[in-house]
Amino acid sequence: MELRINEQMHRIDQEWKAESLLFFMREALGLCGAKYGCGVGLCGACTVLVDGEATRSCMTPVASMIGKAITTIEGLSKPDARLHPVQQAWLDESVAQCGYCQSGQIMATVALLRKTPNPSDADITQALDGQLCRCGTYDRIRRAVRRASEATR
Amino acid sequence: MKRRGFLAASGALTVSFLAGCGSLPVIPKRPKPNAADALSWIRFENTRYTLFVPRVEMGQNIATALKQIAGDELGVDWALLDVKLHDTRSIGRVRATVGSESIKDFAVPLAQACATLRDALARRERTGNLTVIERPFSELRAFAPRTRYVGQRTDIEQSMAIVRGLPLYASDVRRESMLYGRVLRAPVSPELVSRPVTWNSEAAKKLPGFVAIVEHVLLQQGASLGLGIVASTPGALDRIEAALAIKWHTEGTFSQQTIDAGIDVDRRISGGALSHHVINNAIEPPTQWDVDLRIDVPLAAHAPIEPRAAVAEMDQTGALHMWVGSQDVFYQRDVIAKRLSIAIEKVIVHGQRVGGAFGGKTICTVELEAAVLATQIKRAVKVQWTRAQEFGFAFHRPPSSHRIRANVVDGKIDQWWHSFVSSHILFTNAVLPQWIQRFTDYIGDDGVARGATLAYNARKKRTEFDLQRVPVFTGPWRGLGAGPNLLAIESAIDECARAAKIDPVTFRINNVSDARLARAVAKVAEASRKQPMARASDARFKRGRGVACGIYKSMSYAAVIAEVETEVTSGKTRLVKLWCSHDCGKIVNPDQVRAQCEGNIVWGIGMVFSDRLPIENSHVAARTFLDAPIPKMSDMPALEILLIDEGEPPTGAGETVIVAAAGAIANAIREATGVRINRFPLDPQLLRA
Repeated sequence: MELRINEQMHRIDQEWKAESLLFFMREALGLCGAKYGCGVGLCGACTVLVDGEATRSCMTPVASMIGKAITTIEGLSKPDARLHPVQQAWLDESVAQCGYCQSGQIMATVALLRKTPNPSDADITQALDGQLCRCGTYDRIRRAVRRASEATR
Repeated sequence: MKRRGFLAASGALTVSFLAGCGSLPVIPKRPKPNAADALSWIRFENTRYTLFVPRVEMGQNIATALKQIAGDELGVDWALLDVKLHDTRSIGRVRATVGSESIKDFAVPLAQACATLRDALARRERTGNLTVIERPFSELRAFAPRTRYVGQRTDIEQSMAIVRGLPLYASDVRRESMLYGRVLRAPVSPELVSRPVTWNSEAAKKLPGFVAIVEHVLLQQGASLGLGIVASTPGALDRIEAALAIKWHTEGTFSQQTIDAGIDVDRRISGGALSHHVINNAIEPPTQWDVDLRIDVPLAAHAPIEPRAAVAEMDQTGALHMWVGSQDVFYQRDVIAKRLSIAIEKVIVHGQRVGGAFGGKTICTVELEAAVLATQIKRAVKVQWTRAQEFGFAFHRPPSSHRIRANVVDGKIDQWWHSFVSSHILFTNAVLPQWIQRFTDYIGDDGVARGATLAYNARKKRTEFDLQRVPVFTGPWRGLGAGPNLLAIESAIDECARAAKIDPVTFRINNVSDARLARAVAKVAEASRKQPMARASDARFKRGRGVACGIYKSMSYAAVIAEVETEVTSGKTRLVKLWCSHDCGKIVNPDQVRAQCEGNIVWGIGMVFSDRLPIENSHVAARTFLDAPIPKMSDMPALEILLIDEGEPPTGAGETVIVAAAGAIANAIREATGVRINRFPLDPQLLRA
C-alpha cells in the first residue's frame, strides 16, 4: 500500500493502515502542517487537498486514499523556492495569531481559488465558514484570500 | 562573547512548595522581571544575537514585539537577531504569560539588558559576567522618538514556519520510538470523586497497536482518577478505549440547576450583604431605582483550536524532558518535579508555540499525564487531549450573575449598586481543594473582581460579590472577570443613559471618571459618525447602534460602537459593522495591536451570540463544536480600528477590547429591538416582534 503525497510515494506500514490520513501524515511521515483540532471534521484544522478538493484528513481513513493525489501545506512550495501565492498573501496580511488553524485555512483557500479564481465575499465566506479560528483572524483571512486571488489572476 | 549572567541566575533559583507537603498544590511563582534577569534573555555569539523570548508565544506575537525592542536597543539588523522560545534551562525563571503584561513589564528590563550588552560589545569585552547598570528610561534607544523597528509593522516571527507547515507546537513534536497515550476518565465533572472499577483488558490487548494499560495514583485530576492507555499509533487509542468498556465508580450528582441556583445573585441578596467589596459606600435605597437590571453570563469554554498536548521523554541520564504548549513553562517543571519526586534540575521543560490558550493553559493537566505515562512505559509518549476532553475536563469561564441597581439625577449617576456572584478564577477549583478555598475566600479573588470597578463618577458606589464553588472547573478566561463584569456594567450604563434621556455616547463622556477613557469614546464616536447608519433594508429588519467602553487593569482603554440588523420575524441578528478605539500607550507594533483588537472583538461576538457550555448528567455535555459553537467567518462584520498613541508608557493589548465589544453589541440590539438581553448568549426568539 502506497500513498501519493506532495508528488512523493509513501509506503503505509501495517500498523498505520487503520489510521486516519491526518495521523498517518503527522506521526508516521512527520508532515505535521495539518493539525488535529476536533477529530470529527468540524473545525477544518486538518484540511488537505485530495485530488484538488479540500478534505478533512481527520475523518479520512488512510486506506481510502490509495490512488489519490494528496497535497499538504508542505507541498505548496519547495523549501527554498518562492512561496505559493496563498502562503505569500498570508504573510503579507500578517494573518496568523496562534497559527494553529492557518494550515487548514490556507489549504481551503487554495482549493477555493482553483475553482473560483475571483471569488466574491459570499464565495469566500461559503468556502471558509467551516474553517474555525479562535484567535479571531477572520477579517485578515478574507483580505488574504482577496490578495491571493489578485496575485494569481 | 558568551556571558554567564544567565547561568548564575539559573543556579540561584530555589523552589519552595507549601510546607513541602506532597498533597498540597504547587502555587505558581510570580517573580517581577528585572534587568539583571533579562541578561539571560539576550546573547551574542559569533557575530549573531539570540533573543530567548521570556514569554510564551501563543499568538499575541510577543516574540516579534520583543525582537523589535531588542533590535532597536542593540542597534542591530533584524537578520542578525535570532529568536528562540525558552526552556527551563535557557533563561532564569519567568512568571506565567498572563494578564496582558508582557510589554508593560518585560520590555524595559529587556531594553536595559540589551543596552548593557551593546555597551560591553562597544568596549570590546568578550568574556566575564555582565552587570546591568540601569539607565534612565529616556536613554533607552528602543523607546526614543525615532526607532527603526519599534512602532513599525514588521515580519512576524515564526510566520514563515506557519505558512510552510513546519513543526512549532507541542503536538508537532516527534521523538524516536514515540508512543501515544491517553488518560481515560469517568464521564462526569472532575470535581466529583470518580475512578475506574472494572475494565476488559483482554479485549484491549488483542487490538493492533495496544501497548499498555497504566494504573497510577498520579493520574488524578481534581477528584477524578483516570486510567492510562498507551498505543503505538494515535488512532488505536480510540479503539482501545472502546474495547476496555470501563465501568466507573462515581460519587454525587449535579445538574444545570445546581449551578444556576448557586450563582443566583438575587438569592444571595435576599440572604443579606455579599462578602467581598470592590467599593463599599453606604447605599441610600430610593423608593424606586431608575435601573434595576439582572444579567446572567454562563459557563463557557476557551475552545482553542489546539487541544492541549504534551510530549514526555526520559533521557539516558534520567532527566525528564517535556515539550509543552503551556502559558507557564516553569510551573510545569515545578509540578512535574514535585508530583513525580524528580529533582528539579532533572526536569527540563521546552516551551513550544501554543495553539491558542486564552488563560486556559495555565495549569498542569496533560503534561502530568504525559510525564506519568512516559516514566511508567520508559518511552517517549505524546498525549493530546481530544476535543471532548477539552470540553469535559479543562476549566472554563465561570458562570456569573449580576444585579445592578442605579439611579440618575440631572444626567449624572447618583447611586450605583452592583452585586454579583461568580465561581472562582485565580483561586481555581481545578487546582485548589475546597478546604484551601475556605482560606482564600477570606481574601476574595482578584480575577473575579477584575473590571468590576466602576469607571464612572457616582455620588454613592457599591460593588460587591460572593464566590461560589461550583461542581465544574472554572478559572481564568480571556480578560478574567472583566468580560462578563463589563458586559453587565455597560448594559446598565446604557439603561442609565436612557433613564437620563441622553444619548449613550454623550452620557458616557459626561460621566466617566478617566480622561483617557473619555478620549477613547470620543474618538470611536467621531469615526462612526462619518458613516451614518443606513436604513434597514426593508420593514422586515430593524437596525441600531450601541456603544460600550472600559478600562482593562487600570492600564488600557477601549471603546466600541456596533451596528446590528435584526430580522423581525426570526430575531436573527447580523452584525453590520464595528468601530473600535484602543489605547495601550506607546505602541510597539501597530499591526499586531490591531490584531489583538480584532481577536477580542471576535470574542465579544462569541460572548453575545454563542459562548455557553451545557451541563447534563453531572458533566459538561459538549463534546464537539456543534455542542459549543464559536464564531465563524460569517459572523464577522466590517471592522474599523483606531489606535490611540499619545506617548503614554506602553501597557498591554491582549485583552483590552473584551471589556467593550460584547457590551456594544448588546446595546446595539437594545437600540434596534428594544430588548435588553438579560441572559447570555442571546436567544434570538426573544427578539422576534
